[in-house]
Parts: sequence; C-alpha cells; structure tokens
Amino acid sequence: MSLLVAAFGFGLVSMSVIALAAVGFTMQFGITNMINLAYGEVMITSAYLAYYVNQAGVSIWIAMLGGAAFGAVFSFLINRFVYAPFQRKGTALLGMVIVSLAVSLMISNAMLPIVGYFSAAYRERFSRLLHFGSLALTVNQIAIIVLAIGVMLAVHALLRYTRLGKAMRATAANPTLARNCGIPTQRVIDVVWLITGALCGLAGVVAALDSDSFTIANGAGFLITALAAAVLGGAGQPYGAMIGAVVIGLITELSAAVWAPDYKQVVAFGILVAVMLLRPQGLLAKRGALAAAG
Amino acid sequence: MANGRLRRFLVLPSAAMALVLTACGTSGGSTGGGLGSGDLLVGVLAPFSGADANLGPAYYAACLAAAPAINNNGGVGGRHVTCQKFDTRGEPADAAPAANQMVASNSNLMAVVGCTSDEASAVAPIVDKAHIPMFCMTGQSEFNKTKLPYFHRLVPADIFDAYAMVGWVIYGPSHPAWNKVALVFGDDIGSQAFVQPATNALQHLGKTVKNFPIHLGASSFRTEVQSMLAFQPDVILTEALGSAGTYLGEVKELNSGQTIPFIGTSATIDPAWFKDVTSTISVNDVVQFYRGVDLGYTFSGTAYDEFKANLQVAASTFADAPKYGQRGSTLHLYDGIIMTALAMVATNSKDPTVYNPKIKEIANGTSGSTDVHTYKEGLDALHAGKSIRYIGAAGQNNFDQYNNSQSGYILVKYDAQGGEVKVASLTPEQTKKLSDAGGL
Repeated sequence: MSLLVAAFGFGLVSMSVIALAAVGFTMQFGITNMINLAYGEVMITSAYLAYYVNQAGVSIWIAMLGGAAFGAVFSFLINRFVYAPFQRKGTALLGMVIVSLAVSLMISNAMLPIVGYFSAAYRERFSRLLHFGSLALTVNQIAIIVLAIGVMLAVHALLRYTRLGKAMRATAANPTLARNCGIPTQRVIDVVWLITGALCGLAGVVAALDSDSFTIANGAGFLITALAAAVLGGAGQPYGAMIGAVVIGLITELSAAVWAPDYKQVVAFGILVAVMLLRPQGLLAKRGALAAAG
Repeated sequence: MANGRLRRFLVLPSAAMALVLTACGTSGGSTGGGLGSGDLLVGVLAPFSGADANLGPAYYAACLAAAPAINNNGGVGGRHVTCQKFDTRGEPADAAPAANQMVASNSNLMAVVGCTSDEASAVAPIVDKAHIPMFCMTGQSEFNKTKLPYFHRLVPADIFDAYAMVGWVIYGPSHPAWNKVALVFGDDIGSQAFVQPATNALQHLGKTVKNFPIHLGASSFRTEVQSMLAFQPDVILTEALGSAGTYLGEVKELNSGQTIPFIGTSATIDPAWFKDVTSTISVNDVVQFYRGVDLGYTFSGTAYDEFKANLQVAASTFADAPKYGQRGSTLHLYDGIIMTALAMVATNSKDPTVYNPKIKEIANGTSGSTDVHTYKEGLDALHAGKSIRYIGAAGQNNFDQYNNSQSGYILVKYDAQGGEVKVASLTPEQTKKLSDAGGL
C-alpha cells in the first residue's frame, strides 16, 4: 500500500512533466496543422541551453526562462524557414510529418558534436526530500507540479479569456473563415509557434531536471510521451492533452507499483491503443481543435 | 506509361543491387599476394548516435591511436591505415544498412571494430560474408561458439562479467557481509543476460537476490527505485548504460541521501559512465560506494605506453581520445588492429582470406615465437624471419577455436579522477567456484 501511495506521488510528477510537453505539442498541431516530430529535439536542445546558463552560475529556475525563450525562438525559426515554405507549396500532412522527422534527425545529429555524448546534470538536481505519510517528494518535484498547474491555468486563461486565445481558436477551427473575419491568421500562427515553442523549451528543462541527468538522446523519449498524451486526449485538444498526461503519468507509475516495472510502458501504451480502438478521436470529443473540455 | 514507370522502378534498384554485389565481390576478394597500394581502412561500426552514442567514441579512439602506431612505422607495406566511423545508431535496423554500405563502398577495408551487443547479431554475418576480420565488443552468448571465422572477441561473454561481480560480493576485500543483493539491469535481452548467471551463483553461495529490471532510457525510475529500496539490499549489481546516473541519483534521493554500495560490469569502467554517475551522486560517493570488475590490465609496459602516447596524438582528430586510456575496449580494439596489420605483413597479403587465420596465430603465438609488444617490434621480428606473439596494451590474448579470447578478472574501484584502481584479483580457483555455482 505504501508503495502504491509513493507511486501515486511520482505519478503526479510524471504527469506534470508530460502535461507541459503535451499541451504545447497538441496546440501546435491544433492550430498550425503540423505534427512536429522535431518537438522532442527542441525540448532537449532547450534543456542544454539552460544547462550552459546554469553552469555559468545562474539558478536553474531562472535558466529555465532562458530555455523557454530559446524554445520559442527556435520553434518559430524552424516553422518560418522549414515548415512554412513546405506548407505554402501544399505539401500533404504525411509529407510534413516526414519533413519534421528530417528536422528532428538534423537537430540531434547537429547537436551531438556540440554537446557531446557525455551526460549533463543541473547544479540544483538535488533538493530536500519531504514526506507526507508514504508519499515522498522533493522540493524540486513539488515545484514542478506547482509550475505545471500554473502553466495549465495560464493556457486555459489564454484560450478562454483573451482576444489572442479567441483568434487562435478561430484559426484552428477554420483558418479561411477566420481570415475573412479580419483575424490576421499568419500573425496568429507565428504567435502560436512562439507560445508552444516556449512551452516546449520549458518542458525540456523541467524533464531534464526531473530525470537528474540527461543526454542528447533523451529527445526521442520526451517526444514519445508527449505524443502519446496528446493522441490519448484527442489530437489538437489542449485539455485532452492535460487529461492524457494525467492518465499516462499516473498509470505508468501505478502499474509499476502493482505489477512489474518493466511492463509499465506496456500498460500505458496498451491503454492508449485500447482508447484509440474505442474512441479514435481521443478521450475528448472533437468539437473543433482547441474546443473546451467536454 | 505505367509499364515504363514500372520498368524504371525495377531497373534502378536492380542496377544499384548489381553495383553493390560487384563491390561486395571485390572487397577483399583478391587472392593474389602482395600488400597492394593506397590507404587501408578500419571501419568503426558502432553507435555514434542514439541511446548508446557513448560507445562508438571509445572504439574510434582505439582506431585513431592504432593508426599512427602503424603509419609511423612505414604503414602496412607502405599503406597507411585510416579510420572511418559507420554509425549503427545502436539499432539493428540501422546497423545492417550501415554494414552493407561499409563493405560495398570500401574495397580497402582491412578490419572492422566495434559491433556492440546492440547490433552484433545483425552486422557480424554481413561483415563475415565480406571476409573482413572483425573485433566485436559484445558479450552475447550466441557468439560463445560462433561459426563465423572472421569474428573475433577480445572480451569475455557477459556471463563471466556476471560471475566476476558475484566474486566481488563473495571474495571482495574490505566490505561488510553483503547478504541481500539487488540486480538492476536493463529489461532488454542483452542486459538481462547478466541476471540468470548472477542469480544462480548468488543463490548457490547462500545470498538472497532479487531482480529489478529497468527500462533503459526512461526519464525517471522513481517507482522502480522505491520498490528496490523496499527489498533493503546491501549491494546493487548493475550496468544500466545510459541510465545509471538517473537511477542511482534517484536511489540516493529516495534513500534519504544515502548511496547504497553498487558493483558495475566491466563496461562501467568508462569515462562516459563515470561522468553520468558522478554528475548525479557526486564523485565522493562513486569513490566510496562503487565497485567494479575488469579484465586484468596492468596499464603499464611498452605496449601500453605506446598506446597512451598515440591516444594523445589522436586528440588532434578527436579531442576526447585521451580520456579512454583505461577503457578496456579501447585497449583491446587497439590491439586487434595492430594484430591485423601484423598479420597482413606476416602473410604479405591484402587478402583477408589469407591473413585472417594469421591473426589468431599472432595473438596466441606458436611454439618458439618471439614476444612483441608494439607494431615496430613485430615488424622487426617478422623481417628477421621470426614468428611472433603479440602481447599488446591490454595484455595477452588467448583465442579459443571460436575466436573468443579470455583472461582473468580483477576487482577494481574508481579514484576521484575517474582512473581505475585495482583492489584484488580473482584467483582461478575462485573463478571456478563462481562458474560452478552459476552452472551455466
């Protein structure tokens, strides 16, 4: 029982990390119609930028902002100079997926000689362990959970209560109609790449901090969990991605506690497959990308 | 129109296939004597990207050090040795095309080094079919009695690493009795090869043992760690390449800041592994709590000194090369390349079908052979008409009929700089007891 409670706590941390990554990923898809397989590599590249800032003596909690800013600019530039030209030429969705896969490989292979194959770790990787009964979490982990909740609330506020959020939802639902209604859709898309890129960078730093040590090879793993949560929740649905993150984060840890740890990925992805069979559109009904939960 | 397109689709791959087959047929296919001309190539076929990207550089460093050792002494009959990386990404699906491309496009391949457990099963048959001698860094048991004549293994099978780790638990000096042992290896087939022999040996020798597999590359192992801690082990046996830092960091974190003693395989004597683990649990903890096993290297003598000097030379091409001065695989592959070059000179042939059998002869020696420790010593002895036995930077080699070479184990620790410190040796009697207890 105590292991189960402890696993629940770890699940909260995992779901927070996954949620940060998955919401950005799914928003990118929902609004720009781009399944960006380079997302994981942008995450790990941002984590490395924060690492170098951190090694220069800056706290990781501040360096994290640098990682987010880098993720924003890097994602924006990738879209501007790689994805957008292909999309303008009318490249099909599958073609764009291949382009993003190529970008992913280019980033990881370009980064390897720069960052090396030795692992890296932030200076503040250790923090005090706090016990709440059988639940044991470090101060860093609690901060990650709080940060994720804050970011999710901010995303919710952005989408529901701001003009930009409404423009984003309109662009996601029907870009042509949105443009005809006077919404500068190209500018909205640029802003979306900046915002989701910032989420991507932030998620990369948080994931790297959470895993104590990291290498450039971790990018692929980051992508898989983000992709799984996004698909489980319903592609293009930020609230669905949040729910997907909760399901995958908690189930992987709880299944490791009650069953065998080596099957935790099997359980999580088995549930993903089952949901896809029963509800191909994901957990949230597709009422239009970026629609409210329900 | 459709037929024309179909024909083009069929003709182009067929032409490419013909070119590949032609190249395959000519690589090393010459049967004439003489060493030929032009540069020779050593293919470093290993992961340089992906989860095991830290493995390839250790082997590349070996080649870069071996090249000047040969080239500064006139090369192989005047032919200079060069090194080229062929990235397998640690995946058989990527490794097989890389191996095919390597043998098809390089008719000057003299040897291949690398081929780790990640890809050995996929690439060894390809390289063997091309008749290129290879030195593989795999501990997989499927190669214990391999029928591939061009396959060479200078390191023991994983099963012996497992016994040596159990040897630390049973015979290692200066530690309290370790009665409860946790096994923490990756959940892949290659990593789990350590588990059964270690479990058998430990149980037969009266210890309580439990397996806690982990999924290598995961971003966190907290629940697995918590489950392992509930077992209250005295010591952990592990390898966990690429994930050891994260795992051991979380052990320390969830064990109230206390690191549990841990014993690593010979693959953990590696600068990348040292960096990974020290970055999470600190250098002091590694020095205090880490134990490892390794083959009995002396890290001294003429051969080693030359190897070390050539690693420094290699830094001009690969800055991290000098860090591999105590990496067993780097030493062994360096020796493998030198032995291959000597075999070519000894047979005066560029034809692998001729010089491949000579490698084993030079490694094991024959009756009345002269011991040599460097390429130059070997050349001088060969030119003087002597038969030679090469005892290199990693020491003696003893190839069996399956081209598996094996030597005794030592028990080691790390110093604060990441250097290996020998603590004790396992005697032949101890090794026999361990393998008898393992029963595999």
